[in-house]
Amino acid sequence: MIDQIIQMTLNLDMPQMSVLEWIITLGKFAFVFIPLAFIVVMIFMERKGASLIQDRLGPNRSALPVFGGLRFFGFVHNFTDGIKLFTKETFIPTYAHKVWYVVAPGIGFLVAFLTPAVIPWFAPLTWWTGDHISQVSGMIIDSDTGILLMFALSSLSIYGTAMSAWASNSKYALLGGMRATAMMISYEVSMGLSLMGIFLLAGSFNLQHIVAWQEAHVWGIFVQPVAFFVFLTSMIAETGRAPFDVAESESEIVAGYHLEYSAMRFGLFYMGEYAHIVIASIIIATLFLGGYAIPFVSTDLLRAHVDIALALCLGGLGTMIGGFHLMVRRWKKVYATMGAKDAGTRNREYSFLQFTSGVASPVVLALAVAVFFLLNPMAATTVDGTPIFPAWVSIAAAAVQVVVLIAKAFLFCWIWIWVRWTLPRFRYDQVMSLGWKILLNLALVNLVVTAIIAKLVTGVR
Amino acid sequence: MISIIYFSLFASIAMGCGLYLLIAKHPLYGALALIGNMISLAGIYSLLSAPFLGVVQILTYAGAIMMLVVFVIMVLNTAHDHEVPRFDWRGVYLVPVPAALALLLLALVYFNSPVADATALRGTAQNISQFMFDTSRTDNGYWILFEFIGLLLLGAMVSAVLIAKKRLSTHKEDV
Repeated sequence: MIDQIIQMTLNLDMPQMSVLEWIITLGKFAFVFIPLAFIVVMIFMERKGASLIQDRLGPNRSALPVFGGLRFFGFVHNFTDGIKLFTKETFIPTYAHKVWYVVAPGIGFLVAFLTPAVIPWFAPLTWWTGDHISQVSGMIIDSDTGILLMFALSSLSIYGTAMSAWASNSKYALLGGMRATAMMISYEVSMGLSLMGIFLLAGSFNLQHIVAWQEAHVWGIFVQPVAFFVFLTSMIAETGRAPFDVAESESEIVAGYHLEYSAMRFGLFYMGEYAHIVIASIIIATLFLGGYAIPFVSTDLLRAHVDIALALCLGGLGTMIGGFHLMVRRWKKVYATMGAKDAGTRNREYSFLQFTSGVASPVVLALAVAVFFLLNPMAATTVDGTPIFPAWVSIAAAAVQVVVLIAKAFLFCWIWIWVRWTLPRFRYDQVMSLGWKILLNLALVNLVVTAIIAKLVTGVR
Repeated sequence: MISIIYFSLFASIAMGCGLYLLIAKHPLYGALALIGNMISLAGIYSLLSAPFLGVVQILTYAGAIMMLVVFVIMVLNTAHDHEVPRFDWRGVYLVPVPAALALLLLALVYFNSPVADATALRGTAQNISQFMFDTSRTDNGYWILFEFIGLLLLGAMVSAVLIAKKRLSTHKEDV
């Protein structure tokens, strides 16, 4: 119906698709907002991770003025930060290039919105509509150029850094921008070359095919451990985080490329960095940890037992909320014995958390049991040897797969934070020699060895 | 219909960026215009059902090579950049060359218009790899040429490193 309207109004050559296919195809575009949603959680994770590694408490002052100050373990700090960034003066230096100064911070942030388009969020949906099989890919752009498109877009993001550095008309900023540029050029080579091995094995650039290969054989991290190491290191360097943050090292060039920026323009750099980390984490999870695939469970098996999978997901969530409930109870007891001055307010906050988690946990667990008993994936109709399930089964399985992918991505997000707060900053020459003399050679040797082994084992490629 | 809309969009961006490259006052703006030109060219390649070519165009030209150019412009950025005249009369003598090329192309298209199936996929990753690396082909393949170009580029890279190293070492001896 929608395609008919579009065809009538615009006279475009549109494929014939059913309404459900249109809804899913357009709804997939919502995935571009996943990095944004991650940013809020990532900043919170970073603060808490830093405080964990540095053996301190972390943010614990900002609070919502209800129930004696709801702090949500420092999560409220994010929002006060946002208010601060939005309400500060957006300053433009006198001799800055006005247009590029304003436009440049947005480039890197824009790319963060584009790159999720090539990530397969779930296995291709297949269901039976009337007379034919409907099929919707799990990626927004299903092209056989696949991850190359993501590399192409992310290589453009460095122009944001370079142009903001140049437009600020400051020597420190320019130095930072040039360091960022040089590092990007150096590490992009080993980043691309390290993945050649896994492209060779999967026989495709398309991430969907790579995940399908991993689902059928073995996770990429087991066949390509060297490539995993090289790619992870290059990706950390690409995001410009410690230990590779020579582009903004405060002890040498004050703050590097974002020195002259204030308020939300600085906020764009800050959030763009986290968006970049999220994208990199999802890409690494997709390439080396099997993406959306659950180990030892193929997509067909998942669809056949989608009720169990959903019940397990909900059960896990309910158990986690229950564990949280027990944790809050213990804190409350400990806090009562400490004799702190604000024991009354903290007691009210903890009581609120204890009550809500105490209610939510049984509700979610009951929902899990209900899902297990009430849902019942109908028997598949076999078409050309492949089982075809009803539409809702495919969609439910896709939801489980998105959760699995995001869980794997969180693991790598944590590695980013862990590395940042563990390793000291490298010197600029150390960064360059690591990139050109170690990682590039490792990636090349890995490619040659993979090619020889693949030739010996498979014989054809 | 939709491809015509996109083509006119990309073509006008490419033309505009190309013109701006010629008249830009600062070399950096010229470089940025060239990047815009390359990205819109990549869009046109994708419209011609060659997505791989388009992506590689962005990846290598707009992403890597132009990044190097921008880097070099930033390194060599001096105060005298603004004194470069915007228009040079000697440049007029070069106008016949592109004009002749354009006329040649027009004549070629007019007298011998290429016939191609617009819906066929030509430049996908699979097509190109089969076209270039299929050693079992009996007609003219490209894999040996590809190897030669690879060797040539490797030689160029090694000699560039050698020249740079030599300069560094002589500098040390001078000091």
